[in-house]
Formats: sequence, C-alpha cells, structure tokens
Amino acid sequence: MDQVWILPAIPAVIFIICALFGRLLPRQGDFLVILGGLVLVGLVFSMFPGFQHAYRDGLFAPDGSNVFAFDWVNIGQGFFTIQFSTYVDAITMVMLPVVTIVALMVMIYSVSYMHGEPRYFWYYAVLSLFIAAMLTLVLSGNLIQLYLAWEGVGLASFLLIGFYWERQSAAEAAKKAFITTRIGDVGLLIGIILLWRATGTFDIQSIIAAAKSGAIDHNYLTVAMLFLFGGAIGKSAQFPLHVWLPDAMEGPTPVSALIHAATMVVAGVYLVARFSPVYAEVLIARDFIFYTGLLTAVMAGTMGLVANDIKRVLAYSTVSQLGFMFVALGTGAVGAAMFHLFTHAFFKALLFLGSGSVIHATHAQEVEQLGGLRKKMPWTTATFIIGSLALAGIPVFAGFWSKDEILAATLHDAPMWTYVTLAGTALLTAIYSTRLVLLTFFGEPKDPHAFDHAHESPWIILGPLVLLATLATVAGFFALDQVGQALGFVGGIGQLVYLHEPHHFTQPDWLLASIATLTALAGIGIGVAFWHGDARRAVAARAWAPDLHALLVNRYYMDKMYQGIIDHAILGLAGLVAWFDKRIVNETGVDGGAQTIGYFGYRLKFLQTGRIPNYALGMAVGMVAIAIVAFSS
Amino acid sequence: MTAADGYVLIALCLIPLGVSMLLFLVPTSQRSSIIALTGVSSLAMLALSLYTFFKYTFDGEQFQGVLAWTWMQNVGLLGEKGIQFKVGVDGIGASLVLLTGVVVVPATWVTWKIQDRMKDYFILLYLVTAGVYGAFVILDLFFWFLFYEMALMPMYLLIGVWGSTRKEYGAMKLMMMLLAGSIFIFTVIFALFTHVGAGTFDMVTLLNAPKGVGFQKIMFPLLVIGCGTLGAMFPFHSWSPDGHAAAPTSVSMLHAGVLMKVGAFGVVRLGFQMMPEGGAYWAPALVVLGAGAGLYGAISALRQTDMKLLMGFSSVSHMGYVFLGLGTFNSIGWSGAVLQMTAHGWMTALFFLLIGGMYDQAHNRDIPNFSGMAKQMPIWSIFFIFASMASLGLPGLSGFIAELHIFIGTFRSYPIVGGLAVLTAAITTTYLIRILAQAFFGEMNPRWAHLKEITWMERAGAVVLAIAMLALGLWPSPWIERIAPSIINIPGMTL
Repeated sequence: MDQVWILPAIPAVIFIICALFGRLLPRQGDFLVILGGLVLVGLVFSMFPGFQHAYRDGLFAPDGSNVFAFDWVNIGQGFFTIQFSTYVDAITMVMLPVVTIVALMVMIYSVSYMHGEPRYFWYYAVLSLFIAAMLTLVLSGNLIQLYLAWEGVGLASFLLIGFYWERQSAAEAAKKAFITTRIGDVGLLIGIILLWRATGTFDIQSIIAAAKSGAIDHNYLTVAMLFLFGGAIGKSAQFPLHVWLPDAMEGPTPVSALIHAATMVVAGVYLVARFSPVYAEVLIARDFIFYTGLLTAVMAGTMGLVANDIKRVLAYSTVSQLGFMFVALGTGAVGAAMFHLFTHAFFKALLFLGSGSVIHATHAQEVEQLGGLRKKMPWTTATFIIGSLALAGIPVFAGFWSKDEILAATLHDAPMWTYVTLAGTALLTAIYSTRLVLLTFFGEPKDPHAFDHAHESPWIILGPLVLLATLATVAGFFALDQVGQALGFVGGIGQLVYLHEPHHFTQPDWLLASIATLTALAGIGIGVAFWHGDARRAVAARAWAPDLHALLVNRYYMDKMYQGIIDHAILGLAGLVAWFDKRIVNETGVDGGAQTIGYFGYRLKFLQTGRIPNYALGMAVGMVAIAIVAFSS
Repeated sequence: MTAADGYVLIALCLIPLGVSMLLFLVPTSQRSSIIALTGVSSLAMLALSLYTFFKYTFDGEQFQGVLAWTWMQNVGLLGEKGIQFKVGVDGIGASLVLLTGVVVVPATWVTWKIQDRMKDYFILLYLVTAGVYGAFVILDLFFWFLFYEMALMPMYLLIGVWGSTRKEYGAMKLMMMLLAGSIFIFTVIFALFTHVGAGTFDMVTLLNAPKGVGFQKIMFPLLVIGCGTLGAMFPFHSWSPDGHAAAPTSVSMLHAGVLMKVGAFGVVRLGFQMMPEGGAYWAPALVVLGAGAGLYGAISALRQTDMKLLMGFSSVSHMGYVFLGLGTFNSIGWSGAVLQMTAHGWMTALFFLLIGGMYDQAHNRDIPNFSGMAKQMPIWSIFFIFASMASLGLPGLSGFIAELHIFIGTFRSYPIVGGLAVLTAAITTTYLIRILAQAFFGEMNPRWAHLKEITWMERAGAVVLAIAMLALGLWPSPWIERIAPSIINIPGMTL
C-alpha cells in the first residue's frame, strides 16, 4: 500500500515515451499502453489481499492511511506547505478497479476501432496521460494534488474530444467542454483555498478531522463546501453546467466510454464522497447536492427521450445517472452512490463501446439511419441489450441493485415526493433505453446503405464487450453480504464503503425492489408500445405535443441561452472595456496628454518671433518687473 | 554563494555589454561570426545564470556574492561609501537572473534569421540584456538607475527600425511613457539618498537605515507609478499592447519576458525592501489595482483579434497578478508574485517567439483570418497550445504554481478579491481557448497553404522555454527555497 504511487507513475512514463517517440515505435506504441494497462489491472488486484487484511484488522478502517510522499512547496520552514501524499481507503478501492478495468477494455477495443486513424500514437499517448491523471486523482491525499490531477484529466478530455479537430464541431465541443468545466473549477479552487484558510492545511484527512471537530465556523464551512461542490457540478456535468457532456460525444467513441461515462465524469461523485463526513456536518450543502442531482436526473432523462444520436442518448443517460449518484450523496448514502458509480461504469462503458461497434460497422450514428441490426450484429445486439437491461434496472443485472439502493435511501431520508420523482426518472430511464435498443437493433433498416454496410465487428471489439457484459451482469452481486464475505471482506459493498451511513444497506429491501422492478418493466412496456415496429405511437405523441418535443430537442434552450449570454452580455462587456481602453485610456489619456503638450508647444512657439524688438521688449519688461520686486521687498 | 561568486554576477553584466561593444568591430557582412559570437555568449549567460541560481542558498545572509568597488567618494554630499559599483543578489534577484538567462538564449536564436542589419540589432539587443542583468544584480542605486535606463533606451531604435504595424507610433509611445516613469524613479532615488543622509547610494545601507514613515508614505506611490509603468500596471499600461504589436520578435520576447519584470522588481527592491512601512500602508491600493488590472486586461483580451495585441492585454492581466500578490504583503502572496514574474516571463516569451515565427511568413496576425493551422504547422500549434495551457494556469505548468500562491495569499486577507482573481483565471481560459478553437482547429484555410513550419532555431528556442516552464511547474521547490527567505526578511511582512 505504501507504494501505490507506482500506479499513476506507470502510465505517466508511458505517456512521455509515446508522446515523444510514439511515431517511431512499432505499431506506434499501442502495445506499450496496453501492456501498461494490463500491469495496472494486475497491480490493483494484487492490492486486494493486503486491503482485506488491513480492513479486517482495523488497520486503517474506515479512514484509510495517508502515505506522505514529499513537500512540493514549503515556505517559512513548514509555515505553508503543500505535501504530496497518497491515500487509500474503501472509496479508493472502489475507484481503482473501475478505472483500470474500463481503461484496459477501452485500450484493447481501440486497437481495432482507431485502426488507421491519423495521430494513432497521439491517441494512445493521451489515453495514458488520462489514466495517470485519473489514478493520481483517486489516490490523492492532498487537495492541491487532487486539483492538479483534476485539471490533468480535464486536459486529456479536451485533447481527446478535440481529437478530430479538423471537424469544426469537434473543435467547438472541445472548447465548450474545457471552458464549462473550468467554470466549475473556479468553484473548486475557491473551495480548496477557503478550506485551507480555515484549517491551514491541504491534507484531506486533516481537513475532515478539523471539520468534524467543529473547529470551522458552520456558515463558513457551508459556503466552502458549496464552492467545492461547484467543481463537481462542472466535472460531473450537473445542472446548470451539464451542457458540455452531450457535445463531448464528438470525441472517438472509446473515449466517450472511458472518460465521459465511466471515469472522469464521476470524479465529482468521488470528490463529494471523499468529503462526505464534512458534508454530513453541513446539511444545507448536502441538500443542495441532493436537489441538484434530482433536477439533473429528471432533466437529462427527459432530454434522452427525444435525442436521435445514439451516443447523445447515452450521454444524456450518463448525466441522468450521475444525478442519481448525487441524489444518493445528498441523502448521505455514500455507499449507495459509490456502488452505483461502480456498476454504472461497467454497463455504461459497455453501452458506449456497443454503440461504437454499431458506428464502426455502419458509419452512421443517428437512430433514423439505423434499425434491424440484430440480424447482422448478434453479439453487439446481445451485449447492448444486457447493458440496457442493467441501465433500466431489471433484476439480476448490475444497475438494478445499485439503483435500488439509491431509491431506498431516498425513501428513508428524503421527502416522499422526491422518491416519487426519482422513481419516475427510473421509469424514464427504462423507456429511453428500450427506445434506443428498438430503434437501433430491431424494426426495419431505415437506411439501406448503412445496413448493407453493416457487419459484425471483429473479436478485438467484441471481446471487451463480452467481458463488460459479464461485469454488467455480476457487478451488482457485491451488494450482498454473502458475496462480500465469500471474497474475504466483512460484508457487501454497502458495509465496506462508508461506515457512517444513515441507512446502512446490508440486504436489499425486497418490497422496494419489487416496486423498482415493476417500474422498470412498465418502462420497457411503454418503450415497446411506442417505438416497436414503425413507432406509430411515438410519431403521434410528437404531433400531439410539438412544443414539448421542441423544448426537449432544444435541451430546454439552455445552450442557446448560454450562447446568448456569452455573445451579448460577456462579449458586450468586453467590447465596452476594450472601447474604454482604446478611446478613454489610450486615445484620450495618453495620446491626448501628448497632444495637449504638443498643442501648448505649438502655441508657445509663436513667442519665438525671431524679431529683435520683440525680444528686447520682453527683456525690458522682465527687468522692470525684477526691479520692482527687488526694491519693494 | 561566496563573495568570489560576485565575479559571476559582474560577468553577467559585462558579457552582453562586451559583446555589444565587440560587435562594432565585426564587419556587417560576416554573419557567421556574428552568429557564433552571440551564440556562444548567450549560452555563457545561460550557464552563468544557472550557476547563480543554484549557487544561491539562503544561509542567514540575504545578499550574497557581494563585491564592491568605490567609484566616487567624499565629494559634495557623498560620504565614505559614496557611489560604488556593487553587485550581489538575494533570492528574488537570483530567480530573476535565471529568468533572464533562459529568455536570452531563444531570443538570440530567433534573431539570426533577421536579414536587415543583424549586427546593429544585436548591438542594441545586448545592451538591453546588459541593462536587465544589471538591474537584477546591482546593489547601488546610482548604477542601478544607469543600467535601468540602458535597458530602456535601445528599445526605441529596436522597435522604430525593425518593428512592424505603426512602429514609429509604438516606439515613441513606449519610450515616452517609460521615460516619464523614470522621472518618478529618479526622484525617489534622490529623495532616498538625501532623506537617509548617509552620503551613499549603497542599497544595503539604504535598506537598513531608518526612514521616516511619512517620507515612505509619500515616496512609495511615486515609485509604484514609476516602476509600475514599466510593469504595465493599469492605468499606465497602454504602451504595452501597442509597443508589443510594433516590436520585432526577440524584442517582444525580451521586453515582455524580462524587462516588464524589472518594473515589478523595482517595486520589490526600491519599494517594499527600502520602504516597508510605506509599502504596508499602500499595499491595499496595490491589491485593488492588481486585481482590477487582472480582470481588466483579461476582459479586454476577449475582444482582441490581433495576436500580439491579445498578448499585450494578456500581459497586463498577468502582471496585474504580480501587483496583486505584492499587495497582499504576506509571504505566500509574495512568493506567488515573484514566481509569477518568472512564469509569465517564460510563457510570454514563448508566445511571442511563436507569433513571430508565423508572422514572418504570413505577415498577418489577425486571428479570424486563420483556421485549422494545426494541419499546416503542427509543431507550431503544439507549442502554442502548450503556452496557452501555461497561461491559463494548468497545473503542472509554470503559471499555476504562481497563481495558486497569489490566490491563497489574497484569500488570507481579501476573500472577495481572491474570488475575483480566480474568476479572472476562468476568463483567461475563455480567451485563450477561443483562439485555439478558431485558429488551430477546424478546416484548414487554404490561404495559408504556403506557410512552412517554424524554423529549427525557433523550435530549439521553444524547447528551451518549454523545459523551463515544465521545471518550474512540476518542481517549484528550488525557486521557493530561494525566494521565501528573502521575502520573510522584509520588515513587517506577514509570514
């Protein structure tokens, strides 16, 4: 455990090698990256026995252990220090397999998917950079280190969204993603500094200890924690900064699976989970998280209903599911949130990679051009359906277990109407995932050209799909105590992650589970009723409420509103300031000053007439004046 | 650092000065000799700068490598020490010496492609370099002012003769504003001399001598106006965008990279170190001015389309951070301010190097005219993106570590201003990413199909700067170790 710094170090070194010499390496260095991924997965699994022992013996349960690495900054012999350190606890141990396994799947998958792309080496290099930053993020014991990694994953995301930068839309999407998340990061940095101001340290565990002991003024802490959550809003695409994630689908599909579904976007969830003991102290901030998550979940779910781009549907779904996780965090159910993060990573990565398989085969990604693919792509269809069932929350599949925990937590610790709303969102989830499956794989082919082109993907693509499908099926079982005990832990994942949980899930609540299952089945039924076959009812529904449809298609007009704010308010203000600088400061102040002096020079020069009598007169007047002054005193 | 290392400091002033004089003897036609001479001497300066920086370790003695020769004594008001040629650095000076060394090398390399009177150009450029080094290492106010002016004067010719875009206007404006600032500095120097009344221009004596608080309160703002003009402090900044737009590449690099820091360094050395009580009194004003300039420059930059004008406003914004950091008057904010001088110096030098490398071919700097340049000039684009990332404060690059300290220092005393400063960083992101998306990504504009990748010397120069930026960003300890003790030594400084 003391040597976990090796985890981020491996991909970091590979990044440097691939970025500098990738072009010269055989196969442009992809094997190096994959090898690194394999080593990482191996190392993470080799950590588990040690973790089990440490956990059972109470060595660091539940608060983990901080391994000091080095002083990054030290002013005044320890007065102001930034210490780099690593920290491993149960939350980290949930994140590590998610990051490494999905990363490895994506790397293998990309060998075929990205084959023949220009800048192939660069793709793999940035992938390594991303993994290095992501692992640093989840292992950070220090907030500045976390911020460093936080921006690092943002950079990798920016570079990968803009991977096809020749496309104007990709360039715009990369720009939007970077600026939007950066606005959230303003909040994060302010939050970090505010916490430092109150405690004098950046060390996460020390800050948590100080906050729990009540050493920080309550209102101050609330404000600081709200700012900190700002970072999570940006990175995890929550309302009102969710606008970047759907556009981020401009990146290569494997990247969407890794960064924009499984890992980077859950960094915000991780951050809030990491600080959950502090959020438990400031309930206003926690409620704020709760309602932000709820609003986002509902909004994104409705937008997912009408989107036509297969990847965009999944993107809205991701936003919505992230909302679910924040709802759980908002009720204090950290274990449920981390569990959902865990299962969601697998089935959403599966769905994205499945959609990538479809796009790879048909070169189309609008559902209007797809359909009937189940005959040509049986493996992709089967795995995609498994992913959709997991997403919809059908029993046995992973999503059922974790979503159920979140619903249970909401019912226990939040107003009734929020439970109903969330259950409604779960219904929406089932509807849009059914719709996606039906429109893509069933029915008649809508674009014969794309359909003719279609073929099942090679095994290097299907392999990761099958593996992820397996995980999407079994990952939910970790909720059961028996499974956890069989693996050598004290219990299921709910026992493990967060001991201060108000509603401590050990066994699923079967009544709630039945309701959730019925909801999901109802959703699937509605989906089938509307979109089966020629989707007659769906067309009728659209004609019935065109305004509502337009509202959803236009994403509640939020993107347009932001664009308007930028174009008119911000650039208008900038124009005003630039005008002020040009006209007032520069031309009036500086040039004007120079011209005034020039003007006086011009006027005064007429005194120099060059005529002797004028000078003589002046001299005479002057002498008389001096004489008067001299004699009068 | 021992006293003998003072010879290194002297060498730093004399090498560029000597090369400048030596070049008079070299015939203009012998370009290769000029290139060899300047190449060797610039590397020597870099080596000596690195030596100075790493050799300086704080051991209780703030000024190290101190050597002095008396030039004039016991005449008129001058006493025993009178006017000395005295050198020595503290941690702040040492870090700025390194800044200069790293900028001079690429500035020299990119100048080699100038065809028109390259020799004369180098004579003037190295005079500027000598002046800058002098301003960082000299410990006597008389000679300090001499070298300070030596750094300014050649700018007029460099911009006026070799510049572009309204060069006469830019050169004249820059010169007039900076010289107007010099008048204030000159006044303060003589006021200090007479007020202390020790009959010496020796900085260390003046630094330690007791000075009246009222005197300091009057003199400090005068000095800030004088040095702040060179540091592009709002509202005395307007020479900066125009001057940079007009200046040739290496002059922009040296000017924005190093010379502007002489202004900020003047506020540190002559201002806070000499007049700490006056500094403490006026520090809140610096906070307001600095944060205001940061925001003002960033918002103005949003609407600029000329790359160099944009960098000019960006510099105003980033130098605003420096003054903000100084205004906090605590060790963290100050460390940030001094780091920011270095960080901004390297980053902005890299920007100007790249813009110059493109402008020399395209004769156009208007951002909306470009698109998809990453296709035509990939290496150029990569370096540009790198510089942008440093500028917008991406962690791991030089800008972040400096800005972080400034933000934290500001938050200690002025949380609201600190919040505004962090917001400024987001605006910086916006204007930089907007250029990237516009000029570098998207479809290639066929109009620029004839452009070639930047030259090998430009690439090498960019690599030097990039390595320095990475070093500072990833491992800031060597800088902090040297800067912090000198900062904590200032009387009244909050830890």
